[in-house]
Amino acid sequence: MTDYFTGGCQCGAVRYRVAGPVRHASICNCRMCQKALGNLTAPFVSFQAPVEWTRSRPTLFRSSMRVQRGFCNQCGTPLTYQRGDMPISLTIGSLDRPNVVVPTVELARDNRHPVIGHIDELREESQGATDEERDILAILRSYQHPDQDTEAWTPGGGQ
Amino acid sequence: MPQPELTGGCQCGAVRYRAASLGRAALCHCRMCQKAFGSFFGPLVTGFGVTWTRGEPSWFQSSDVARRGFCRDCGTPLAYDLGPDDGSLEMAIGTLDNPERAPPTIHVNTHDRLSFFETLTALPVRDESVRPLTERRKGAPVVSHQHPDHDTAVWPPKEGFAA
Repeated sequence: MTDYFTGGCQCGAVRYRVAGPVRHASICNCRMCQKALGNLTAPFVSFQAPVEWTRSRPTLFRSSMRVQRGFCNQCGTPLTYQRGDMPISLTIGSLDRPNVVVPTVELARDNRHPVIGHIDELREESQGATDEERDILAILRSYQHPDQDTEAWTPGGGQ
Repeated sequence: MPQPELTGGCQCGAVRYRAASLGRAALCHCRMCQKAFGSFFGPLVTGFGVTWTRGEPSWFQSSDVARRGFCRDCGTPLAYDLGPDDGSLEMAIGTLDNPERAPPTIHVNTHDRLSFFETLTALPVRDESVRPLTERRKGAPVVSHQHPDHDTAVWPPKEGFAA
């Protein structure tokens, strides 16, 4: 049985799966990636196998002549980056298990946000006293899709 | 000398905003920020007096206590709204026209921090010189469709993007 990497957007309207192995995993500091993800750096992974969309598909924005970026138009989660006919790259945070894909290269270091080089020097907010208090999902009702495939799912359901 | 205005927006420029001032900047490691941003953490800075100067974000109610704003045309995550009494809004730092105006000072919700997070600043850098120019540019400069990092009177440009 093939082991698939699965993932999707926050609300669960768009879901994907892809067989390994990992082709390329990186973080990119370029201004286009920063703005597209609203972030300081952008983590992307591509695979040797094609990406299969198992629920709906991302909406595409052509961010430059040859590059399209995919996102969920229901919740906004940035999902893909694709240059021309190159393999689709997926945002690592949208994987159900982002910790299994470790980036091995940094792109556009000259545009690093200044905090990136000092990220281990930030202080940490004190945590709650109990496991429950430490787990943000325990203290709110999340409408995020669970980190696994679901048979049926209504984005934002139960509100 | 007064600081330039605090402005920002999404990648495509359909949504633009201005903030009167900024508060605490944080890196949030919770799994909800990870997934909403498609990233390893959510970089958020408290924005005071935020006004939408072009378009408005779409909102996704991500839990019973918060909603997240994004651009429906290009997907950029823009804001996280807990509805605080002071009317402030948590803004995605990467969407500021100058994200250096919001240096994070604290990690929050570190229980979900990814195991390899600490190693990210020590990754090797790709050597651009070894990639053939033809592969990088194919003879033509990249034409960006991203909104510039400042307000514009008209967007997208009337004359369109260079072919």
